Amino acid sequence: MSIQIKNLYFRYNKELPLAIDNISFDINDGDFISIIGETGSGKSTLVQHLNGLLKATSEDSKILVDNENIYNKDYSITKLRYKVGLVFQYPEYQLFETDVLKDVMYGALNKGLKEDEAREEAKKALSLVGISEELYDSSPFDLSGGEKRRVSLAGILVMSPKYLVLDEPAAGLDPLGRKQIFNILHNLNNNGTTIILVSHSMQDVVTYSNRVIVLKNGKKHKDATPKEIFLNEKEMKEIGLSLPDQIKILNILKEKGFNVKTNLFSLDDVKREIEKCLEI
Amino acid sequence: MLRDITIGQYYNIKSIIHSLDPRVKLMGTLVFLMSLFLSGNIFGYILATFALTIVIKKSKVPFKFMIRGLKSLIFLLLLSVIFNIFLTPGRVIWKFYFLQITIEGIKISFMMALRLVYLVIGSSILTLTTTPNELTSGIEKGLGFMKKFNVPIAEIAMMMSISLRFIPILIEETDRIMKAQIARGANFDEGNLFQKAKAMIPLLVPLFIQAFRRANDLAEAMESRFYNSSVERTKLHPLIYSNNDKKSYCFMFIFLLCMIATHFIKI
Repeated sequence: MSIQIKNLYFRYNKELPLAIDNISFDINDGDFISIIGETGSGKSTLVQHLNGLLKATSEDSKILVDNENIYNKDYSITKLRYKVGLVFQYPEYQLFETDVLKDVMYGALNKGLKEDEAREEAKKALSLVGISEELYDSSPFDLSGGEKRRVSLAGILVMSPKYLVLDEPAAGLDPLGRKQIFNILHNLNNNGTTIILVSHSMQDVVTYSNRVIVLKNGKKHKDATPKEIFLNEKEMKEIGLSLPDQIKILNILKEKGFNVKTNLFSLDDVKREIEKCLEI
Repeated sequence: MLRDITIGQYYNIKSIIHSLDPRVKLMGTLVFLMSLFLSGNIFGYILATFALTIVIKKSKVPFKFMIRGLKSLIFLLLLSVIFNIFLTPGRVIWKFYFLQITIEGIKISFMMALRLVYLVIGSSILTLTTTPNELTSGIEKGLGFMKKFNVPIAEIAMMMSISLRFIPILIEETDRIMKAQIARGANFDEGNLFQKAKAMIPLLVPLFIQAFRRANDLAEAMESRFYNSSVERTKLHPLIYSNNDKKSYCFMFIFLLCMIATHFIKI
């Protein structure tokens, strides 16, 4: 059971070039996939296909979610929306209700849950994102930026999606807010939610994901582990992406003649490597 | 989804009509629309068709863009034709129970339809050949004399150009919010009228909040640059009448006189 994308083609209109040009790949259950690429490479367009907001413009394209083609005539796109949760960039603008709890319940009520069931689900979702009970009754518009972001995330989690797609979930947040969001995603992933992340922050990509897909001009450029991708600095530059900071530092140290390993990713390992240099 | 809607349907090409002063085009449209109501007989329509053809040719805008605006009018057109055909008293040529068609009915419905079509095409030419900004400055300058009567024309023009600027932004925003709510299981298409209206709340509330926030930001930005509406502002492209503009005014005047003249021709 997984998502399989087969020969996906999409163009916004006839006069424009293909926005998605023959992309195929599988998303396995439990994956934490990052999709990276320059602005305009088709990342956001691609992820909007996963819950049926955009539809492939070629007859040959297929997207199988749990072995069912979502382009079949009798496939229920509404059900797909609850199975594949999509969190847009700056999701705060989806907030509209008078209090936080009601806003989060919206998705669950749409799914068909009864009022009290929806309230229970909403409370669960809010505790997942670390919003305390005191905030349940306050207006979502009175919250801080980071809190708003987490409430919006809960608004998707309340539908208990099996697959969670996020487009730059930490954009515009301070370092603390960013860390909170990624801890939530990390925990969700550990509990079995498959995560598909669109990100510009190589730091986050390298720390959290087990697989990276690089897009370039609407085509799939590479599909590999973060290590394989980030160790090739030359190619990274060609794609127009920067290296994660920790690898940049190690590369500079190596250039200056220090004897350091450059294939380390976790911050702790990098810290140890740098300390070694200082001891000399 | 909503991206296909175009307001301010400017067609970017170089032509004599495009380069005319917006005041001329505004006045021309006004004269054309008025003249359509002045004249009611066949000669008037022939003259109007003749003038319209010249302007369309000179504007270099493809004809299919002109009639694009008619699509939304088809229902109204049909309605007016049907009512006029069946309900005009006169010489009956066809009868079916209470329905009857008269020669006068056919004549009137044809004239009415033509008048409506010309109204739309006439105003389309204005919006197709004039950018919203030109239009606003045309209104500002053209109605400048109203300042003497304490009508705040400069402020109204400023408000107009800001609103026009905001339309595409708001459309894009609506699109974004709509998608986000659809991802939360919102359904904007199904249900009865009441359910549909209720489904709009998750769309309208964020839209209004965003619009107010934007308006606030803009006001603050203007204020921090010491915006003051009572000061006379200079223009990057000041409106000055050229020879073509003067010729157009003459053309307009002659056209109007001819249209009035057709009114007195009796068949």
